[in-house]
Amino acid sequence: MTAIELAGVSRWFGNVVAVNDVTMTIGPGVTGLLGPNGAGKTTLLSMMSGFLPPSSGTVTLDGAPVWRHPEAYRRIGLVPEAEAMYDGMTAWDFVYANAQLHLLPDPGAATKRALESVDMMGPRDRVVGTFSKGMKQRVKMATALVHQPDVLLLDEPFNGMDPRQRLHLLDLLQELGAAGTVVLFSSHILEEVEDVAGTIEVVVAGRQAASGDFRSIRRLMTERPHQYTISSSDNRSLAAAIISDGSADAVTITPSSLEVQASDFGRFVHALPRLALASKISLDEVTPADESLESVFSYLVSR
Amino acid sequence: MSSETAPGATTNGSVIHDIGFRHYEGARLGRGWAFRSLLVETIRGSFGIGRPAKVKAMPMVLLGFMTATAIIADAVTILTKADSPSMPYTQFAMNMWLLIAMFVAGRAPYAVSRDLRDGVLPLYLSRPLKRGDYVWAKLAGVSIATFLFIAVPLTLLLVGSLLAKLDAAHEIWTWSGSVLMAAVLAVLLSTLSLAVASFTKRRGFGVAAIMTLVVMAAAFAAIVVNVVNFKVSQAAGAYFSAFDPFALVDALGSSWLGVEPVVAERHPVGFLGGFVLTSVLVALVVLGITVLMRRFKKVGGV
Amino acid sequence: MATISTQSLTRTFGPVVALSDLTVDMPSGVVGLVGANGAGKSTLIKILLGLLPPSSGTASILGYDCLTDGLAIREVVGYMPESECLPLDVSATEFLVHMARISGLSAHAARERAADTLRHVGLYEERYRPIGGYSTGMKQRVKLAQALVHDPKLVFLDEPTNGLDPAGRDEMLSLISRVSHDFGIDVLVTSHLLGELERIADHIVVIESGVLQRSTSTADATQLSGAVLVEVTDRTDDAVARLTKRGANVALGNRPGTFAVELTDEAVPTWVVEVAAELEVGLVRMQRRRHRLTEIFTSDATGEEAARV
Repeated sequence: MTAIELAGVSRWFGNVVAVNDVTMTIGPGVTGLLGPNGAGKTTLLSMMSGFLPPSSGTVTLDGAPVWRHPEAYRRIGLVPEAEAMYDGMTAWDFVYANAQLHLLPDPGAATKRALESVDMMGPRDRVVGTFSKGMKQRVKMATALVHQPDVLLLDEPFNGMDPRQRLHLLDLLQELGAAGTVVLFSSHILEEVEDVAGTIEVVVAGRQAASGDFRSIRRLMTERPHQYTISSSDNRSLAAAIISDGSADAVTITPSSLEVQASDFGRFVHALPRLALASKISLDEVTPADESLESVFSYLVSR
Repeated sequence: MSSETAPGATTNGSVIHDIGFRHYEGARLGRGWAFRSLLVETIRGSFGIGRPAKVKAMPMVLLGFMTATAIIADAVTILTKADSPSMPYTQFAMNMWLLIAMFVAGRAPYAVSRDLRDGVLPLYLSRPLKRGDYVWAKLAGVSIATFLFIAVPLTLLLVGSLLAKLDAAHEIWTWSGSVLMAAVLAVLLSTLSLAVASFTKRRGFGVAAIMTLVVMAAAFAAIVVNVVNFKVSQAAGAYFSAFDPFALVDALGSSWLGVEPVVAERHPVGFLGGFVLTSVLVALVVLGITVLMRRFKKVGGV
Repeated sequence: MATISTQSLTRTFGPVVALSDLTVDMPSGVVGLVGANGAGKSTLIKILLGLLPPSSGTASILGYDCLTDGLAIREVVGYMPESECLPLDVSATEFLVHMARISGLSAHAARERAADTLRHVGLYEERYRPIGGYSTGMKQRVKLAQALVHDPKLVFLDEPTNGLDPAGRDEMLSLISRVSHDFGIDVLVTSHLLGELERIADHIVVIESGVLQRSTSTADATQLSGAVLVEVTDRTDDAVARLTKRGANVALGNRPGTFAVELTDEAVPTWVVEVAAELEVGLVRMQRRRHRLTEIFTSDATGEEAARV
């Protein structure tokens, strides 16, 4: 099983510690790398792709260090954030050149396959300088895919792409993940990460704040009561029932709904159907209010 | 806009004021005011007024040299009790040509390259201003700033002459001629410099390019004029002063106002010469304006 | 009266067709513009601002004709560009006062409104420092402020959340809602992020390759669909079996513990609660599923979507 492992990795630039003692393993499937601006995500990706050595700790791909190991580069594809490209080359030529640099046996076929997967075969003979931001991003992705890497690292890859392109490429990432590729992508668009990433890694100011499935992470935040929004046929009576049952910490009544805070998530969700039936109140909607990746992320960042 | 209580409602004298977003019901002063504001801002920027100290430094230092020179010349005139100014007005601009060139070379890119680099143009274009207005405002702004740069020290020279009790009428007459030519020089230099600056987003390049062109032009003109003077005639040589903006204005000054040209080799031009050189002046200014307009049509799209 | 209205608006640049026969009415409130690629979007904005004439067709904004009333339009419209557009060596206050004046405000009004607007967008002591030292979030606020300072009737916000991290996006989106609801200014916002538009837009316009694809209110596009999404803690299969026995139409969801039940009967929610109580499982979620804007873009995909909780 392919995996990138970081063990006690730190990276500093003079007195600026961009990455501070991070240990993580990125395995097959899609992982989201999240964090506020300046948290160190780009530095992490640079170290994983062999562009930067760690100041301490080790970054390894299947046990072998990435830094200064060209064999590792064959297996890694990177889609960096930077926009700079050779504006004078055509899309085809650019990707083809990359294929040649990887010493692929059939660069033409590889280029075609890569451009097809990002839906850029149409404009392949146009010069990159004429492309929109979204199209340039797709060419970058093609160059990262041309050698069919085992590991794909992407830094804000969908910047500038319209919704159709985004959906298409998110699907692509999902397919690659399902096929066993190690896909790590950093993004600020949490609703997209929520859709495709099985696990997330959250970094805040260079430190690793959390890792895993975000819903499980939410469960681990026991110091934060879970928030629920409920609407029913009789909110006040239901509120009374919930309070006397003792399964919630606090209940707030708003004009249209009931807001419940419950530290013991398990106990509350089990009690709710029972309480509703017992009080002969019919439930219209039960919605966890802070289970989204957005909520989990904001909690992690503000710790 | 909402507030917890009706705005201004009082309970025993206590009040909560509404500090939400206020709509503007006042006058909108339109294009003329917008133009004026941009113009004033350009002039202020040229002298670093309202900007951090770093930006003020160069123009103020240069202005300092200009005024110091004028003051020293005045002092000499007064103290030696001379019967004519120690530095004639016509000579002033020619003597200070390097400082003037440095001023314009610095101010033109500051006015234009910065905007290109920062990409501010869409913000101007989305306001009640036409694209041409932007160019005219920058042009006028830098021209006026350059004009002031030359005219203020010139005026100091006048003050000195008056204090030295020289013939007021004569002094004022010659001074006003020089001020006129200063205006012409300012417009010519500003137009060409802005045109050059509009090709680069990097102020440093702009400054260097303009200074190089000015210095090269001066050198080139000097050489050519000398050669032509020598090989053909002094009258013919005078035409070639057109390559150097300072020499051009000097020659025009002598042609329009009948004063002696400052540089001895530059023979005063006759009527035909004056006509040709004036046309060259107009052509250069028009060329500069056209280039500027074209450049800004191309860049800075919304 | 529509805030922005176009009739057969077309604009070509040589062989490139940026806008093709665009006829759309955009209402007041927050209108989201999606899908347009670079050429179409910026061309539309230029035409609406009166900076570019159409090749054919007409456009009007707030009752003004875009072709002839450019200056008048630009007095009452604000624009927040997507690109970098701020001078880095002046302070936000200075910059905003200057911009307010260029919009036609007197010196006095410019100063006052600049100060007020900076407060409304959330810039406090930073406003006296040069813009070059600001974070991305602060710069976006300055960009927004210059679009609002002259009290426009309508603002164009071009990808306002670009480059912002989740917290910054959240704040910007709240600010945009305030601009519409509290300040009473109409908003046309372009974005590639459908989630954002679902949150703040009242109306959505989809333009692809210069052609109008959809113009719909967000409410219509995110209507409640006829199904309920359910999530239980465990014994999912048992729950599904019991509901099916009662006659419900159930489809399993992507994630463990989730399924969707069609609302064929009013009593479906009650069935769900009863089944949960019978099986003594926890009811984590029971939520009417809504249509999502992404469906506009996946409409060529066949089949029904699996329950996405």
